Amino acid sequence: MTFRFAALLLSLLSLAAPRQAETFKFPLKSGSVRFAVIGDMGTGKAAQYEISRRMAEARQSFPFDFVITLGDNIYGGHKAEDFEKKFALPYKALLDAGVKFHASLGNHDVPAERSYKPFNMNGANYYVFVKGNARFFALDSNYMDPKQLDWLRSQLQTADKSDWKICFFHHPLYSSARAHGPATDLRLQLEPVLVQYGVNVVFAGHEHVYERIKPQQGIYYFIEGASGQLRRGNLRSSPITARGFDSDNSFMLVEIAGNQMYFETVSRTGQIVDTGSIQRDVRIINPSQSDFERQQEHTVRYDHSLSRRPRWKSAASR
Amino acid sequence: MSTLLKLRCGPLFLALVIIASSCGFAQEKADSTPPGEEQAGFKEFASLAQKYAGLHRKIEGSLPKLKTNSSPALIDARQQTLAEHIQQARENAHPGDIFSPAASEAFHRVIARTFRGSQGDNARATIRQGAPVANAHLQVNHAYPSKLPHTTVPPTLLQKFPKLPPELAYRIVGKDLVLLDVKANLIADVMRQALP
Repeated sequence: MTFRFAALLLSLLSLAAPRQAETFKFPLKSGSVRFAVIGDMGTGKAAQYEISRRMAEARQSFPFDFVITLGDNIYGGHKAEDFEKKFALPYKALLDAGVKFHASLGNHDVPAERSYKPFNMNGANYYVFVKGNARFFALDSNYMDPKQLDWLRSQLQTADKSDWKICFFHHPLYSSARAHGPATDLRLQLEPVLVQYGVNVVFAGHEHVYERIKPQQGIYYFIEGASGQLRRGNLRSSPITARGFDSDNSFMLVEIAGNQMYFETVSRTGQIVDTGSIQRDVRIINPSQSDFERQQEHTVRYDHSLSRRPRWKSAASR
Repeated sequence: MSTLLKLRCGPLFLALVIIASSCGFAQEKADSTPPGEEQAGFKEFASLAQKYAGLHRKIEGSLPKLKTNSSPALIDARQQTLAEHIQQARENAHPGDIFSPAASEAFHRVIARTFRGSQGDNARATIRQGAPVANAHLQVNHAYPSKLPHTTVPPTLLQKFPKLPPELAYRIVGKDLVLLDVKANLIADVMRQALP
């Protein structure tokens, strides 16, 4: 009984607190695709500004070219001053350095954001862009109508088989957070398409926590919805969680080099709370494959080398 | 005695299974193919939605186009102008202009069937998961409040609803089904108590 209690306590602690270990290092390979991931950030409050400062700091040693946003880019009002206070100002250092943002829409966003130039949505709710050997699909999970599903199918069908296929949108298909939980109806419609056409990684927000989900049908799911908002202690222990962090705000850094994707999740205070790498095997798409067979085609190596103090921490902040 | 009972009940049980499964099949079939009345209601709705979209396009065509690098202030101003022109053109708009009685009946039936069917729990969960909005009484031809979050419309429902012109989108607000003009951020029509 005591042993069970201790095991439960340990597992809960591992969900809630960042672990310490040696520093994780990105390979920073020439020609690799480097980006940051933020979600649920547009509050205009202190936490958003602190995360954006951490991002700018991280960029000094991990020069990422672009950022993908997982929705809820602007909370509350959507007047010109809101765009300034909740986006242009907090990310000024990154925008001035030429970092491009690619946004997706959350339930707190408005359609007018599609026309906001720094979001690079070109007036569309959903769109695709290519960086190196990675193809990114920004989807609108508020409104997954047959038209969008058909569009996604056709885009995935014609995508280069050797590309990484990465989808990002707001509502998570899998989640262990208490606040919302998984979008099961969305999963019912979307997951078969993602699986059939060999999507490798999915990023979502909505839950104001960080969570890495164990691969589901061969797809790696990340939730990063704590880059401005935070629901402290909202993650519950779940068999699908590979790693969770709900005690502070966070953002992700990602590098794709060949068939390897390296990731690192950094907290507001600069702690690395999750890190690892995913090995992608180029898949032959065969819809008749069983889930188990698909799962076997992917291998993952999680390098849980966590650091109390990230290597990019600036001299000023030490 | 018990063997006799088994022998007598066996065919009865088999018949019940066949009836139950055929009812389920009929239910699934009905879900994907709207009966005649629903088709007529949806046809009327599609025609009224197209009429609205035509008005939107006409008004939007008379406004200066947005540049790709337009500032948030310009985007907002253009949206306001578009909304004001549409509001003026639909001065006497009221609920039911697009969700006509026949259309409302068709929507009610499809929604009720979906919520009763095998995907009902998922649809309900998706609405709950998408931060549902309560106590908001939206008015036709008024702006959708920008601080009000958008509840996810269950994709299962979107599969069954008539397709809309790009100017319009369905929204769920509380138990109401809303037709939103996405570019003008205007409530084109509301169907009250559409959800069970």
